[in-house]
Amino acid sequence: MDEGYLKFVIVGHVDHGKSTLIGRLLYDTGSIPIEKVEEIKNICDSLGKQMEFGYVMDHLEEEREQGITIETTQTFFKTNKRNYVIIDAPGHVEFLKNMITGASQAEAAILIIDAEEGVREQTKRHAYILSMLGISQVIVVINKMDLISFDREKFESIKSDLLNFLKEIGITPSYIIPISAKEGDFVASKSANLPWYSGPTVLEALDSFIPKERSVKKPLRFAVQDVYNFDKRIVAGRVESGLLKKDQSITILPSGEKTKVKSIEEFLKTTEEAEPGKSTGLTTLDKLFVDRGNIIVDSDDMSYNVTTRFRASIFWMDKLPYKLGTPILLRCATQEVMCRVETILKLMDSSTLEVLVSDSGVIRNREAADVMIATDKEIVVDDFLDIPETGRFVLGKEVTVAGGIVKGGKI
Amino acid sequence: MIVILAIDALEYTLVEKYQCENLKQKYYGKTDISEFSEPRTMVLWSSFMTGENKEKEILKLGDKEMWNARFDIKETFFYNFQSPKIIDLPGFSYDKKIHEEERELLKAYFSTDSTEEKNKIRNDYNAHAFSHHREIKNQFLDAMKGDHDFLLGYFSIADVIGHLNFGNSLMMKMIYKDLDEIAKEIKQNHIVLSDHGMKAIGQFGDHSEYGFWSTSFKDLNNPKITDFSKIIVGMM
Repeated sequence: MDEGYLKFVIVGHVDHGKSTLIGRLLYDTGSIPIEKVEEIKNICDSLGKQMEFGYVMDHLEEEREQGITIETTQTFFKTNKRNYVIIDAPGHVEFLKNMITGASQAEAAILIIDAEEGVREQTKRHAYILSMLGISQVIVVINKMDLISFDREKFESIKSDLLNFLKEIGITPSYIIPISAKEGDFVASKSANLPWYSGPTVLEALDSFIPKERSVKKPLRFAVQDVYNFDKRIVAGRVESGLLKKDQSITILPSGEKTKVKSIEEFLKTTEEAEPGKSTGLTTLDKLFVDRGNIIVDSDDMSYNVTTRFRASIFWMDKLPYKLGTPILLRCATQEVMCRVETILKLMDSSTLEVLVSDSGVIRNREAADVMIATDKEIVVDDFLDIPETGRFVLGKEVTVAGGIVKGGKI
Repeated sequence: MIVILAIDALEYTLVEKYQCENLKQKYYGKTDISEFSEPRTMVLWSSFMTGENKEKEILKLGDKEMWNARFDIKETFFYNFQSPKIIDLPGFSYDKKIHEEERELLKAYFSTDSTEEKNKIRNDYNAHAFSHHREIKNQFLDAMKGDHDFLLGYFSIADVIGHLNFGNSLMMKMIYKDLDEIAKEIKQNHIVLSDHGMKAIGQFGDHSEYGFWSTSFKDLNNPKITDFSKIIVGMM
């Protein structure tokens, strides 16, 4: 059964039933204590209402407030196929910020639309963000079908509106599913209320998705943090992606000098390999110049980019605006270089997604921009979609004023 | 029809926290009840309907007898209306028996040391409060369809449930959201008003030293509860 886990986000208009769908997913997969469900049901009964699954999220919030759940932004459930992590996205600005700064990484998304209200501005904004972040595994759910008597024509009309818009922004949804999160139709189980729909349920659709390649299978990126000279010279750092192995042929970037991993050193022991996320030390066969901020890659791998100019999407989150050409510190993994935004290719208000006039050469708080960045020294970057760990960066010295993702690597 | 949604112990901070947009309306804030020595329900609603500080008069009756106070309509601003409907308001039209039963259960809860007994009383108390709430809600929603020129519905659920369950934030949120849905049903010009709010004392709730107000038409700043009689009559 176990295929690991898949992280996804549910986005859409605030009133279109996001928390009800999360509550229903958790309930139908048996992921919340039955007593809690009973408690919610009892209070609903006492108030003369039907069960409201949206309150399941409040129960989780309560646990978080009391410190029962350590994880603060993620919710878990599992199917027979794999585990799922739902990333909380309180609003699209927070979602965009979290994705860019690396706080959360969604591999798939559910875009939720109210069947009565149809496609709204916020639906479009959220879809646009999915497109900007390159999330291609997308399920669209048309929720609250019970409120429109499971009407097929209405469903088809919303579907057609939406597909027109999604086409413009380059998203092809994998599935468009009519559901009622409140009643449970086509969330975990099929339903006789929708005899005209023959596609999968939401859970079946999620199960058909492919988890993003785990970074263990990706090319090696070892970010050097420091070099210690004891009885032997140890290069300390962190495996950002790929596997670091003993005897591996490696290249030190940006210099391009080559050598081999002589040993992998851990506290009081040596080991054969180190996995992504691991902070460890290595010794090299030859004595080369290595320093903090270098990136070590496998010598057989040519996928890296050593560059002084690259294209990026940045999200400005400081009250003080940025003026084109101003030198600013860029940090990517352990690399620190001075850089300048050279050109603003596209500027957008992150709340309205309105494209702004970029001639002013100023990027303001909560604006997102496609830009060209020029660095003073060579830097190793990857396309965010290939290796997020070395594909994202922050700007600012003491205070982080912006987050960014690298688009397309070398120019 | 002018409508007043009178909610006992509606807490300003919880209206904000639970994002009750209908309770908030366009303008909302806290009322100033600092002229009263303590935030007492009967004192505050009596002062509201008469437009005068009735603390001395009510306190003179004593803790038990104050609940029997009943103002004549001529002493209240309701008299300005042709066909007012006042549902369950303390000091005017409230169902004395129902509220007495609630107070008895509350007393019994704090008198017993047995956890089992406490749980049983709490369940009875909650069931009693919810049942009364459903009844008042139906009466209020029905009355909105009537031809009254003034309607006031008094809802005690946030206060009654809050006293024993304020630490149960799920229950409190569900109650606030229900009150918010009631506010959403009001299509007429209306004011939402509470006598006082509620603060946490462990798992329990005690009255806080300000009330809540909201309107769709005017910023009232920091009004006193005695100001509302004039404000409401001015809406006629």
